[in-house]
Amino acid sequence: MKKRRRKGRIEDIALQRIERLFELAEADARENKIKGRSRRGDRYVQLARKIGMRYRVQIPHQLKIRICKGCYAFLVPGENARIRLRGDYITTTCLRCGKQMRRPYKGLGE
Amino acid sequence: MKINPHNILQHELIGLRTEVEDSTNREVEGLFGTVVDETRNMLVIENASGKDKKIPKAGTTFVFELPEVRVRLRGDMLVSRPEDRIKK
Repeated sequence: MKKRRRKGRIEDIALQRIERLFELAEADARENKIKGRSRRGDRYVQLARKIGMRYRVQIPHQLKIRICKGCYAFLVPGENARIRLRGDYITTTCLRCGKQMRRPYKGLGE
Repeated sequence: MKINPHNILQHELIGLRTEVEDSTNREVEGLFGTVVDETRNMLVIENASGKDKKIPKAGTTFVFELPEVRVRLRGDMLVSRPEDRIKK
């Protein structure tokens, strides 16, 4: 089997940019709650996705679950997303498009 | 490798504080604020009063504030889509 290529400089910068954009989206969402300005989170998600696709860098799992799979909105629980435990899985509902995303939470880790 | 003067051309500009130092449009010289969006040809800068100013990259000189240093960049070098800038 071919050895997995070491993460190069370009992938490294791409990942940093993705993480930075999510940080900014988060900060904007928090600020927005107080000031009530237009949201930029969705735009930052769009840019992060574009960077990820161009350089074939995966968006880290912890960040990916903040994106709606239907309309690619930046999800802020309590604001535009509803998170519920349903049996063996967590359901995240996007309140903008209604898409439900499910992921398991049992039997992971210990 | 974090953002530094050597990789700023490839790195994320959104979120950085910047000043318009020189521009073909005299009106916007001295504008100071945070970069909030970027397109192929423009930077959107939010100034102190919370207004978004759309500044063309071409023909403008920006001074970006990094954590430790300030970097002066000719906007003409930034003209490309934000996701295309990493590979140049």
